[in-house]
Amino acid sequence: MDFERRIGDRNVLDKFTEDFCDVVDKCAKYIVVSGFVAISTGRTRATEDIDMIVEKLSKERFIELHSALDKAGFECMRSSNAEDIFSYLSHGDNVRYTRKENKMFPPEMDIHFVKDELDELQLRERQKIEASGLNVWFSSIEFNIAFKEELLKTDKDLEDATHLRKMFYTRLSEEKINQIKSMIKMLRRKR
Amino acid sequence: MRNKTHIEQVERWAEFIRDKPLEEWKPKFNEFIDAQFEIAKRFRDNMEKTEEGRQALKRVIEWRKTR
Repeated sequence: MDFERRIGDRNVLDKFTEDFCDVVDKCAKYIVVSGFVAISTGRTRATEDIDMIVEKLSKERFIELHSALDKAGFECMRSSNAEDIFSYLSHGDNVRYTRKENKMFPPEMDIHFVKDELDELQLRERQKIEASGLNVWFSSIEFNIAFKEELLKTDKDLEDATHLRKMFYTRLSEEKINQIKSMIKMLRRKR
Repeated sequence: MRNKTHIEQVERWAEFIRDKPLEEWKPKFNEFIDAQFEIAKRFRDNMEKTEEGRQALKRVIEWRKTR
């Protein structure tokens, strides 16, 4: 099945997401998670940002990544100093990047480093969603459902989870979702 | 991912909208929101191309009717 999208069809969010992910992909393993997964799989709703998890990098590798993002026209909203940004990330904080020309207006990429074995597993099991037309690595549908049903649990998250369950009904592993939920209980609930 | 940076971003965006004239932020805002709807629609259009995809869309539509 041909799910190709013509280059000229790229809208402002396609361009932002694919350009950012293309730079990160050359320096590190990453996944896009949460609300943007729901939108990319056909859910009509809005999100203010795109959430990304990046493998844990050494300071040197992160400085290379930050420099590549800077050259590609992105800026970090919290600091322009790569060592400071690395310090935030290595302490478990999130940081946001946007296009320099946007002057702090969305879209924004909210990134954090891998936090635990759960994030490491998400990274290992990442997938592309062909029908989205986006050349982007996403966390698996099972991971998104489990996080939304077991941890996030807002009305919006629960609706996202139901949307994903209906859309991917024939391909989902309930056993896998339950395994992930058990890991969430063990690793995230105690915090 | 509800975190400190998310709250900061919402505040920053609200301040931007409060402080700038409508004609400055509205086109940008519309383009950003429209892009999200276009991405969702593109996925659904691609799903329409296969029988499995059409069945999936049918399940979603049935669920939406019951909400």
